[in-house]
Amino acid sequence: MNSFKAYFKKEILESVRTNKYLILFVGIVFWALLDPLMLKLMPLLLSNYLPADMSALFSDFTRDTAFQSFLKDLFQIGTIFIAFTLMGLISNEVYHKRLVFPYSRGAEPAGIVLAKYIHYALILSVFILIAFLTNYFYINHLFEGGIVSIVIVLKSSLLYIIYYCLLLSILLFFSSVFKRSLVSGITVLVLSYSLSIFNQFKSIRTYFPNYLLLEATDIRYIFDKSVIPIIIISFCIIIILVFFSILRMRKIDVA
Amino acid sequence: MIEVIGLKKNYGRLEALKSISFKVDSGTVFGFIGRNGAGKTTTMNILTGLIRFNQGKIFIKGMDFLKHKYKLVKLMGYLPETPAFYNYMNAYQYLNFIGEIIGCNSGKSGSYTAKLLEMVKLKKQGKRRIGGYSKGMKQRLALAAAFMNKPEILFLDEPASALDPEGRVEMLELIKELKDEKITIFISTHILNDAERVCDKICIIDEGRILLTENLSQLYKTYIQPIFDIEFEQDPGDKINFLKKLGWIENIKQKDKMISLYVKDIDFARKEILKEISKLGAVISSYRIRKSTLEDIFIRMVSKNELV
Repeated sequence: MNSFKAYFKKEILESVRTNKYLILFVGIVFWALLDPLMLKLMPLLLSNYLPADMSALFSDFTRDTAFQSFLKDLFQIGTIFIAFTLMGLISNEVYHKRLVFPYSRGAEPAGIVLAKYIHYALILSVFILIAFLTNYFYINHLFEGGIVSIVIVLKSSLLYIIYYCLLLSILLFFSSVFKRSLVSGITVLVLSYSLSIFNQFKSIRTYFPNYLLLEATDIRYIFDKSVIPIIIISFCIIIILVFFSILRMRKIDVA
Repeated sequence: MIEVIGLKKNYGRLEALKSISFKVDSGTVFGFIGRNGAGKTTTMNILTGLIRFNQGKIFIKGMDFLKHKYKLVKLMGYLPETPAFYNYMNAYQYLNFIGEIIGCNSGKSGSYTAKLLEMVKLKKQGKRRIGGYSKGMKQRLALAAAFMNKPEILFLDEPASALDPEGRVEMLELIKELKDEKITIFISTHILNDAERVCDKICIIDEGRILLTENLSQLYKTYIQPIFDIEFEQDPGDKINFLKKLGWIENIKQKDKMISLYVKDIDFARKEILKEISKLGAVISSYRIRKSTLEDIFIRMVSKNELV
């Protein structure tokens, strides 16, 4: 518990001093604001360059399509920000030998890993929630039509939070395995994008994490029971990967 | 206090430690001396639980280190040779962070932190970011971190390596004070003069092997070896090479006009040395017999090991 408390505070201080909060905030929340603005301004910007019938295509956005566009951009760009900002969670500590003092004074690997995971899981959850609510506010003011409601937005944000908490656990695990942080960052990115392929296969897609994102874009339902298996699987994977990260940190040579 | 039996450590094919064994008594200063790459830091890293080992047993306070690692490391403090910190923290924040890991309550830890920073003469710079510290300042902060919560065993890896002469003297004084407080100190150094000044027991390690472990006083008695220092009026150059072939001379060190002859048999050497030196045809300006220092003993042991 001592190590958990010490590292939780240290992670907060580190995130403030190294601008990690700012980078994650920009990477997640910025798109919530920029995306609807760009969609609204695009027809005006393109009107002089495209034929009238073509530019009409870009003026046909509703609240629903604006929301779905934000979800797509958040996944494509937000994932890059998250992976590259948090790729060195453990590997940087080991590589720069910053664990020598804490380990030599009896720091518990479980406390270190849990503090890191819980801290960033909370931060990602809060930022994602802020991003979704910000986006909802703007699409309501800039667009008309569509069925998207605050409940749908909260449901989608919850599914995104689960997805990114899962991604964080994968990042944490790879960061404990690989010495170079870039390797874990790129591995997680490749994994994250490539798993989207399984959304094409209806029979098995409900068992892959990217189904959470697919469900988040489905604004017709508040709750679809097909999402239950992957939510359970995601929590199991998170627990297993955090456990293996702790195990790895117990065995690792830190000097 | 510490008992190491048959400790082995391999890095791939390289045998860093080749079954080393030694004992450190409670409340003593144990000097671990050896050349760079001899295995000093590896041994310290193992004893502080930072790296694993391949074979052997370690007992600290009679407890098996592998079974009670987390309990035992809380009794230790470690000053690594090149300490790494979180550079965005200041000294107060870092020491409080370490204090929290150990389990000091924040109030106690706060006042204790100030005292520690005063002890290592960093109180003025305590609120500056560690990233802006010099190497010596980092070394002193590392000592404060190692000394947090008054450990029973203190591991110091080359503690004076980054310090200026004044800082080095202060460090030695501090070690003497800690010794008076009955703290067991395990110090690795290649500054033999420092080891001679503060250590009770000396252990010489070379190429992953322990060459000797002895109390300093006993060491002088056992390994005392007269050395003949002969100074010539002019540099004798290669002329001294023939002395190396004499069976009763163990080693020759030459520095400009001065040669030091390490002999095996003092009585025989006394009779023969001037006869042999006269064959050089060089003019002697001074001749004296001196007792060996720790440095002489170290060089002797290490060169023997090289021959093996």
